[in-house]
Amino acid sequence: MPIINVHNISKRFGETVAVDNLSFAVHPGEIFGLLGPNGAGKTTCIRMILDIFEPDSGEISILGGPMTDDKKNRIGYLPEERGLYQDIPLERCLVFLATLKGMPEKSAASKLTEYLQYFDLYDVRDKKVKELSKGMQQKAQLISTLVHDPDLIIIDEPFTALDPVNTEMVKDILEAKRDEGKAIIMSTHQMNQVEELCDRILLIDHGHLVLYGTLQEIQDRFASRDIFVRPRTPLPAVIEGITEIRQMNGRQLLVLAEDVEPHQVLKTLINQGIEMTAFEVAIPPLNEIFIQVVKKQARDEDV
Amino acid sequence: MFKIWQIIKYEYRRHVFNKRFLFSLLSLPIMVIAMALAAFIISFFVMDTSPVGYVDRSGVLSSPMPLDIEGDIFNPVFEFLPYRDEAQAQQDLESGQIQAYYVIPEGFPEIRDIELFFTDMPNWTLQNQFRLLILQNLDTFQNLDPQVKTRLQEGSLFTLATVDESREMREDQWFLVITPIIISIIFILTVMTSGGYLLQAVVEEKENRTMEIVITSVTPSQLMTGKTIGNISVGLTQLVVWLIFVWVGLMIGARFWPFLSEISLPGHIIVVMLLIFLPAFVMVAAIMSTIGAVMTEMSEAQQISGLFSLLITIPFYVTTTIMSNPNGTLALILSFFPLSAPITIMMRMAFTTLPTWQIALNVVVLVIIAAFSVWLAGRAFRLGMLKYGKKVSLKDLFGKRELT
Repeated sequence: MPIINVHNISKRFGETVAVDNLSFAVHPGEIFGLLGPNGAGKTTCIRMILDIFEPDSGEISILGGPMTDDKKNRIGYLPEERGLYQDIPLERCLVFLATLKGMPEKSAASKLTEYLQYFDLYDVRDKKVKELSKGMQQKAQLISTLVHDPDLIIIDEPFTALDPVNTEMVKDILEAKRDEGKAIIMSTHQMNQVEELCDRILLIDHGHLVLYGTLQEIQDRFASRDIFVRPRTPLPAVIEGITEIRQMNGRQLLVLAEDVEPHQVLKTLINQGIEMTAFEVAIPPLNEIFIQVVKKQARDEDV
Repeated sequence: MFKIWQIIKYEYRRHVFNKRFLFSLLSLPIMVIAMALAAFIISFFVMDTSPVGYVDRSGVLSSPMPLDIEGDIFNPVFEFLPYRDEAQAQQDLESGQIQAYYVIPEGFPEIRDIELFFTDMPNWTLQNQFRLLILQNLDTFQNLDPQVKTRLQEGSLFTLATVDESREMREDQWFLVITPIIISIIFILTVMTSGGYLLQAVVEEKENRTMEIVITSVTPSQLMTGKTIGNISVGLTQLVVWLIFVWVGLMIGARFWPFLSEISLPGHIIVVMLLIFLPAFVMVAAIMSTIGAVMTEMSEAQQISGLFSLLITIPFYVTTTIMSNPNGTLALILSFFPLSAPITIMMRMAFTTLPTWQIALNVVVLVIIAAFSVWLAGRAFRLGMLKYGKKVSLKDLFGKRELT
């Protein structure tokens, strides 16, 4: 059963349509990428899921029904607008926020100790929040998103302000949460992170659904008829089934002819005695798919 | 309930266990103690302890029994020197050997025109000691009319009464005037403190950008209930501590000035105070929450709330007008304007008798306005959330537009 089931929701602010007839579902044990250009309606969508805004029409079922007070305790949310109480010590701030998620103070404190140690913040726990660096505050906020062991985690741009080491740490913990069966919605513009982490994605633009499915499906859909090879011996000028050969960063891009499949080209190359260290079907990076789709969307709207 | 309690605890702890709060809590009593101390020290240093003369033409002090009292540094026992005539006494006064002299007329005590001559007004202790000296020696007159004696011993006591005798004012009950005013001041300081903290607490979520996290953890009503109770508790803590200081001060003061132990407040004044102050407290708290909810920055919020504070304290600026004409137009207007009502009513109660219908009407108006303010605060809070990060305009707040 999905943890979130969104059915035909729409939301307008005055004349602006923020979200238009959107439907999707998020399941336990998956990292779900919520993608889209700036102003696409991602944050509005998240706020509707979290019951901050009510949709004008459509239905949202969360953890098996409408939002209730108890369900709020089972959700961890890292909003786009980062913020913690600035004038109090870090630990007290985190304990308070954890108690607002229904955790008793004592268990919050002991759980927090584990997280503070994991994120290397234990030594600064008595410092005022405003004295911490941006990255530290971001980690602290992640802790407050995760400390009550939520079943649903919604995180908006979790990697901004983090260095590569911390980014890895956060990725590890998100993957661990997924393996525990938690559902994670991640909204980000960092497509490389989406490729590494997300099982399924939803791409929206101007409030409309543009792409929805597993990462694999979507990349396959956009896969071009190209092959990358890294030959040890020079390639012949003409290869059967290839219409064009281009040089690219030490690799060669082979453009397939109509009706020719990659494995046939591989066979031809081997038969010709070409030695290779790499042979891969060119899957377009998500970044390219994103740009391509959004640009097409803009062109369609202009028309 | 658990979450409301957590919010109350958080709001209360972060103010009360804060150096700034302790400082403001202690500053008032410390200031009062310092002022009292300064007054003591000054009166001690300027006190003239030189002897006092008297010319007795009545014979009451012909062979006086000396005063049997013990002095202390603030109340020295004065030496009273007899003079044969006024010329000699005047000469010694001018040369500074005595600080003043009394002339008791012939025919005293039937004639009670005792004159006092001085260059600087002698203090109250000296005058009281001379009075005691005379009273102690009244028995010199063996045929003194007992009524005259009693009158001399008890002195005069003026009692002013209203024409319908609904109210009396005795000259020794000045505290009935002072106490409601002092309590109003303490109350208003408490309300302002709580209101200020509440304002800060409501704006804080927006300024710190913690609103989204909080609002996805608790309901808006849990948040506002917790914040309001938490911050009002901070104000009440301050009120209780100050009242304890006042009480301790009165207990200590009563050992030096016995009249302080007589200070008490009549029951009906206490009842009216509660009826007026409770809705006023809710009203101010709700107004501050409203301001906090529609503003996005603390500095702006404080400017607006300053305007409201001014309206609340306006009666203090026109104290003399209210005092001299407690039933005048200004006093009436101010007591029906909800913001200035609490203090105006207390002031008017100090100086005049308020008709019951006026008090009742005031209470009703305050309760209605308080309820309206709470409703407005709730609406402002929901609007403020929707217009996250933007200011809510008056048009939004009072307009008929739907919230979502």
